[in-house]
Amino acid sequence: MMLGRYYIDYKSVLPKVVAGALVVLFAVFPVITTNMVTLSILISSGIWAIAVMGFTLVLRTGQFSMGQAAFMAIGGYVSAILTVKLGIPYWPSFLAAGVVSGLIALVIGVIMLSAGGIYFSIITIAFGEIVRIVALNWEAVTRGAAGILTRPPAPITIGNFEINFATSVVPYYYFMFLLVIMAGLVFRQIDRTRIGGTFRGVAANPMLSEHLGVHLMKYRVIAFTVAGVFTGLAGAYYVTFLSVITPLMFDLWKSIQIMMMSIVGGISSIVGGALIGATVLYTLGTYLSRLPIYNIQYLLFGAAVVLVLLFLPKGTGLVDLWGKFWHKVFREPEEYEMPEESEMAVE
Amino acid sequence: MPPAGIWIDGLVQSCIYMTMAFGMVLVFSILGILNWAHGQFYMLGAFVVYYAITAAGIPFPVSLLISGVVVGGLGMLVEKFVIERLSVPGYGMLYVTVATLALVFFFEGAAGMAFGLMDKGLATVLPGVLDLGSFSVSYQKIAVIIFTLVIMAAMYVVLNRTKVGLAIRAAAQEPVAASLYGISVKRVSLIVMGIGCALAAMAGSIMAPVYSVNPFMGRIPMIMSLLAIVIGGLGSLTGAIVGGIILGLLNSVIAYKISYFSEVALFVLVILVLLIRPQGLFGAPQK
Repeated sequence: MMLGRYYIDYKSVLPKVVAGALVVLFAVFPVITTNMVTLSILISSGIWAIAVMGFTLVLRTGQFSMGQAAFMAIGGYVSAILTVKLGIPYWPSFLAAGVVSGLIALVIGVIMLSAGGIYFSIITIAFGEIVRIVALNWEAVTRGAAGILTRPPAPITIGNFEINFATSVVPYYYFMFLLVIMAGLVFRQIDRTRIGGTFRGVAANPMLSEHLGVHLMKYRVIAFTVAGVFTGLAGAYYVTFLSVITPLMFDLWKSIQIMMMSIVGGISSIVGGALIGATVLYTLGTYLSRLPIYNIQYLLFGAAVVLVLLFLPKGTGLVDLWGKFWHKVFREPEEYEMPEESEMAVE
Repeated sequence: MPPAGIWIDGLVQSCIYMTMAFGMVLVFSILGILNWAHGQFYMLGAFVVYYAITAAGIPFPVSLLISGVVVGGLGMLVEKFVIERLSVPGYGMLYVTVATLALVFFFEGAAGMAFGLMDKGLATVLPGVLDLGSFSVSYQKIAVIIFTLVIMAAMYVVLNRTKVGLAIRAAAQEPVAASLYGISVKRVSLIVMGIGCALAAMAGSIMAPVYSVNPFMGRIPMIMSLLAIVIGGLGSLTGAIVGGIILGLLNSVIAYKISYFSEVALFVLVILVLLIRPQGLFGAPQK
C-alpha cells in the first residue's frame, strides 16, 4: 500500500558530493553561529528526526504506529531514573534506554502486530496512553506530574581538551549530529538492502509475500523493534538536552507530530524525508509560537500540513521537491519521469 | 454500589459518546476512513450554541438545530475540499488520517483565536433539579438523555425508512453495486459526513450547559468515542451504541471504585478486544 508510485532513485539525485557537502556544512555549523536558539532548534529537530525515521520504517511494513512518542518516554524515563535515582553515569544509561525501549518494542510487537492495519494504530494509541498514565501515577518511581530533573552528562576529558555539557549547547549539537548520522546510516542500510525490499513487499501485498515464504510477523516485528531502539535513544537524549522529563512531554499529540513530520517530509526517502520533515515542522512550530497572537500557531501549523498534503503530488512529500529540482537543473528533462499532469490530478 | 448520581453521570457520558461514535461509524462505513477531527466538530457545535444563546438570544432547542446545520455544513466542506481530494487509491488512509489530525490543530487554533481560551459557562439554559428523594437530577442531564433517545430514533427512521437511508446502507455494503444502481457514492459520502458532523455538533451543544465550553473540550470525547467504536466494532452502528454505553459507565461507575486504574483498565480492555476479536463485539468478520 505504501509503495511510491513516483519512485525517485536517491542515488542519482543526491550524489556523494552534495551529501558530503551537507554533512560538512552541518559539522561546521557551530563555528558559523553559536546562537543558542538556532542550535537548540537544530538539536531538537535532529532528535525528532530519529524518531520520525523509526516511524517511517514501521510504515514501510504497512503498519501505522500512533504511539512512537511512548518509546521516547520509555527511553527518557529509563535514562533519567538510572542517572538520577541510581547514580549510574549518563552514557551507560543512555545505551540502557535504547536496550529497554527495544525490548519493550519487541514484546509489544510480538503481541500486538498480529492485529494489523487500523487496529494496530488504535492499539498503539492505547499503549501510548497506558505509558502516560503509568508515568503520571507511579509516583514512587517517576515522581508523577512533577517529573524528574536530569543532570547533564559528566564532562569528558581528552588530553587537555574538555567537553563540558553543562556550559554550552555545542557538545549536545555534536553528539546529536553523531547520533543522527549513525541512525541515518542504519536506517538507510536497512531500507536499501534486501530486508527493506521485503518490508515493502509485506506492505504492498501481505498475502503474496506470505505465499513466497516471507514470515510477515517476523519482518513487522523487526521493523518495530529497530524503530523502538532508536526512538528510545532519541528520547533518552532529548530528556538530557531539556534536563527534565514529565509525562506530558510525550503524549499522544507528540506521536501525532512524529507522524505529520514523516508524511510531510516524504516517505520515499527514509532519512531525507525524516530530516526535512522534522526540521521544517519543528522550526515552523517554534517560530509560530513566538507570534504575538495567541493560538495562531496551531491554526497555521494545521493549515500548513493540510496545504502540503493537498498541493504536493500524492505519494510525495517535501523531500521529493529536491529530486524534482535536481532533475530540472542538472539532467535532461526526459530522463526523469515525472507523473503526467493528468495522473497528478486528483481522483 | 456507587451512588445513583454516579450512575446518572455515567449515563449522560454514555449518551454523548454514543452520539459521537454513531457519527464516526457512519462516516467510516461509507468513506472507509476515521475522521480524527470529529471531537473538534463537537467543540465547534458547543461554541455555536453558546454564541447563539448569549449573543443572539435564540432559544436553546432552536440553537441546537442551528449548530447541527452550521457544523454539518462545515463537515461537508471538509469532505469536499480535503477528504475527497486526498482519497487517492493506495494513499487515502494515510493522507486522510494525517490531514484530519492536522485539522484538529487548525480548528482548535481557530476557536482559540476567535473565542478565547477561557472556560465559558451556559448554566442558565435549563435551570432546576428534579428531586427524587435520596438524590436529585438536574433537568439538563435529563434533557441530554431524552435528546439522545430522540436522535437515535430519528437516525433509525432516516436509515431504515427513507430513500437516503437506503442509499447510505447500500453504499456501505457494496459501493460498486450501489453506483451501478444509480446511487452517487460521492454524494452519499457528502451527506454522511454532514450527518456525522451534525451529530457531533449536537452532542457538543447539548453538553455545553453541563460542562464548560473551551477550545480543547473535544479531545477526550474524540478519544472515547474512537475507543467506543473499536470495542463495539468498526462499521457496526449497534456496536457504536453498546461501546458508548460501556465506556460511559466505565469512566464513571468503575472510576468511582478504582480511581485512575479505570483508565488503564479501559485501554487494556481495548487492546484485549482488538487482539481477541479484532472486528469488535458487533462487527462482521473481515472479508
